[in-house]
Amino acid sequence: MDIVVRAFIAFVVILFLTRIVGRRELSSLEPFDLILLVTIGDLVQQGVTQNDFSLTGMVLAIGTIAVLTVFFSYLPWRFQVLRPVLEGVPTILVDEGNVVEKNLKRHRMTQEEVAAAARLQNVPSLSDVRWAVLETNGQISFIKKSG
Amino acid sequence: MADLPDFLTLRHNRDRAGIHEVPFRRAGTALVALFCLAGLLNVFGQRPQSSTAAVSAASIKVYAPTRVRLGLYYEARFTIDAHSDVKNATLVLHSGWAEGHTINTIEPSPIGEASRDGKLVLELGHIPAGQTHLLFMQLQVNPTNVGRRSQDVALYDGDTLLTSIDRTITIFP
Repeated sequence: MDIVVRAFIAFVVILFLTRIVGRRELSSLEPFDLILLVTIGDLVQQGVTQNDFSLTGMVLAIGTIAVLTVFFSYLPWRFQVLRPVLEGVPTILVDEGNVVEKNLKRHRMTQEEVAAAARLQNVPSLSDVRWAVLETNGQISFIKKSG
Repeated sequence: MADLPDFLTLRHNRDRAGIHEVPFRRAGTALVALFCLAGLLNVFGQRPQSSTAAVSAASIKVYAPTRVRLGLYYEARFTIDAHSDVKNATLVLHSGWAEGHTINTIEPSPIGEASRDGKLVLELGHIPAGQTHLLFMQLQVNPTNVGRRSQDVALYDGDTLLTSIDRTITIFP
């Protein structure tokens, strides 16, 4: 029973942490982030399985996480009111070429970061952008001005 | 508004986007920081603490953590100072010292071990006046042992109670 409870707590803690860390931080996977990810995975594993090396324990832990993953993807699909809580809201960062400063501030982002993300999508200047939207997965999508 | 990408609105996605998210993130970060701070301040163990009791014949000091977490190794050190001859020093430990624990070793080995009313009895032998007897117990908390347990310690000379220490260990998940 313990392993199911521990897997549940680990899942909820990870969900909570990913929500408070901020989506921009989670969207990039630089070498440091990759190492951090592996380290966190190792720490979580120790907390969940502890000294249980059994196949049953492994199936229980993975099964619990799988069921919770399905459950937490079902919730926002079924109840729209939960979407902002569990997934966040797409945020407009650039409106008709104008940077929305307060939204950058809310996500601890700089104009330079948005410009860098734009360059990665072959957009040389933010003034060419009609809409830049910080999506719930942390990526920024750019819609260029027509003509 | 017609220019906006589908499912986006200026009100929700530009003007009010993150209006609840930011306070939630800040509160969440503060909560996590507080939790870590509590860890630094030994709320979850495992810094050892001393508990002492003394009578004219002898004094005993237990130096061990009172808060630990599952799976942790820790040491308990028992210091017995004999002020006068203790002919047959005997430590009586509450079952909480063994319940849900793995006792890796007790050094130096007691000359005798027994059970008294469900408690562990460690017979240490003669401690001459003015001498100190040090006893080390190396323990590990078993992974399923959550909660609070009594870890009382009593020092006897044979069957005569000299002094005792009331202590409790809290084991965090």
